[in-house]
Amino acid sequence: MKCLLVEDDQALARELSQALQDGDWIVELAENGQEADFLVRTEAYDTVILDIGLPDGDGTRWLSSWREDGIDLPVLILTARERWADKAAGFTAGADDYVTKPFEPAEVLFRLRALVRRTHGHAHPVLKVGELSLDTHTQHVTLAGRPVSLTAQETRLLSYLMHAAPRVVSRSELSEHVYDRDHEPDSNVIDVQVSRLRRKLGAWRIATLRGQGYRLLADEPSDS
Amino acid sequence: MNANVVSWSQRWASRSINLRLLLAVLLMVLLALPVAGWLLAHHYRTAAVNAFDERLEATLNVVIAGVTYDPLNQQLNYERALGDSRFDHVYSGWYWQITDEANRSVASRSLWDQRLPVLESERVTARTLPGPRGQQLRVVERDIYLAPLETPLHVSVAARDDDLREDIQEFQQMLWLGLLGLGALLLGVLALQVRWGLAPLRRMNANLREVEQGRAEQLETRLPDELATLAKSMNAVLARDQRLIERGRHTAGNLAHALKTPISVMRLLAKQLPGESRDTWEAELSRIDSAVRHHLARASAAGEGVRFAPVALQGTLAPLITGLARLAQRRHITLRQTVDSGVRVHMDGQDLQEMVGNLLDNALRWGKSDVHIRLQAQSEMLLLVVSDDGPGMTPQECQAAVQRGKRLDEQRSGSGLGLAIVTDLVTLYHGQMRLQRAESGGLEVVIELPVVAT
Repeated sequence: MKCLLVEDDQALARELSQALQDGDWIVELAENGQEADFLVRTEAYDTVILDIGLPDGDGTRWLSSWREDGIDLPVLILTARERWADKAAGFTAGADDYVTKPFEPAEVLFRLRALVRRTHGHAHPVLKVGELSLDTHTQHVTLAGRPVSLTAQETRLLSYLMHAAPRVVSRSELSEHVYDRDHEPDSNVIDVQVSRLRRKLGAWRIATLRGQGYRLLADEPSDS
Repeated sequence: MNANVVSWSQRWASRSINLRLLLAVLLMVLLALPVAGWLLAHHYRTAAVNAFDERLEATLNVVIAGVTYDPLNQQLNYERALGDSRFDHVYSGWYWQITDEANRSVASRSLWDQRLPVLESERVTARTLPGPRGQQLRVVERDIYLAPLETPLHVSVAARDDDLREDIQEFQQMLWLGLLGLGALLLGVLALQVRWGLAPLRRMNANLREVEQGRAEQLETRLPDELATLAKSMNAVLARDQRLIERGRHTAGNLAHALKTPISVMRLLAKQLPGESRDTWEAELSRIDSAVRHHLARASAAGEGVRFAPVALQGTLAPLITGLARLAQRRHITLRQTVDSGVRVHMDGQDLQEMVGNLLDNALRWGKSDVHIRLQAQSEMLLLVVSDDGPGMTPQECQAAVQRGKRLDEQRSGSGLGLAIVTDLVTLYHGQMRLQRAESGGLEVVIELPVVAT
């Protein structure tokens, strides 16, 4: 999953993005509202962490302009302002959740995962597609109750497919959400990783729809 | 004793301007007017009697000029007619009389067979005497020497003083009626003064009450000069109050921002430290954080004592409750709200948001599936109830939680800080807060705030 962190304090941005990366997120940074605005409008993110006090204006200003333009990706507000009046202003601007500074990194991760799950229409923290299940908090994958060992990159890929299931996910969408902007691979690398996943989970579980992309299946197709 | 009276009068006079004015006018009406009346009556009486006496004296002189003595018959004669017929009608009340030492006399025809008592006096003397037929007479008399007599003659002229007395009485009647009228007029003017003269003061008073209740933001300054200055100074004080709150909030917000980011960084860095020192760092950082939160919350609270424009319950809380309801949904909790719509309360909107926000945050943290917020306004009371279906608290824990808020300055950990902030705000508004078992078994927080609702 990919997250845009909008924070002007460099030390905080560095430490928080480290904590997020440790929680298996791909983090991109913006130092001010304008940069964040550009990235949100051009790149694909699963969530945005938005600091309210930015050098070029209140974060809520950018947030409401995104909401007005129909950008509905989940936004977690990070605020030093303790007052509920400020939080209420954040909600009004279209925030989905808030975390006050100083925060526990675990809390931020917990809330981000919940936000992303909700966006994809999942309520429970453990996602299930057929016999396959993924605990979004621990990133543990089990198949029919038995743990499956996956690399970090494979987990990210599977996690995105499971969040999106049963929707079809295109290669470009997958690469946008699972890889860093600066390290986006060619589609070949994705194909390679998908086939590794197929080997570990059973080939039929990830169907390729020509010209459209990949899709996770819950049940083995009967006629193949 | 005297001191008692002074303090009594000071106490009463300071009670009300109306009373002061009333006392002043009563003093005038009850003391000054009777004294003035008495003086006037006295002077008028003196002047009237003098004028009467002078007229009699003139007649006396005429009578004196007409007296002759006939040495042959040793007899007094009166030879001239006084042009006034009243001296000829018997007992008309107008008389003259001339008496010698031997008590022989001539007198006007009107006196008939009666004689006036005689006083020896070389100078003109006037006195009041009883006359014939019960008449009361004003008598002017004088002794004269008429050659060749060697003894003096007593000449008197008398007249009934009924007219004089009537005249004086009439004047006094007029006078007292006039003074009564004047007294009534003064009281009337006082009433007018109190009604009309003090009307701006009453208007200002009513205006001030409106400001107190938040129905007006400022005092009206279109007042008489003396009050306009006062109203302007009061407006300046009110505006400064408001500015101070805003500045306090602004400073608090900036300070929060300035402190919180470094604390966040330090907390993240502390995570990388080995076991024991990490715990110490984290504990100390939480301590700094709760101190900052607590004192900032306090600095930003407006509380009572400042005058508030009314805020709409629904409008103030809707964004907050809607936002929190979305959060609740993500945690599989239903956030139900019963908020009196259309109700406006006279309190600071941010303080209200702060209470509701903290209570709901707490309830959502502990609740399993259901959180209910209820806001009801009575005329002088706002009732705020937040309940959850979480594990709840024992009565001892409830009491401890409320107490903790009061002792927060000494407190170390940041847990339950939200409730402490709410306790603080409730105290600021002189409200009541109690924690009790909800029907569903969870915690129910009941707050009663004595604020005016419209």
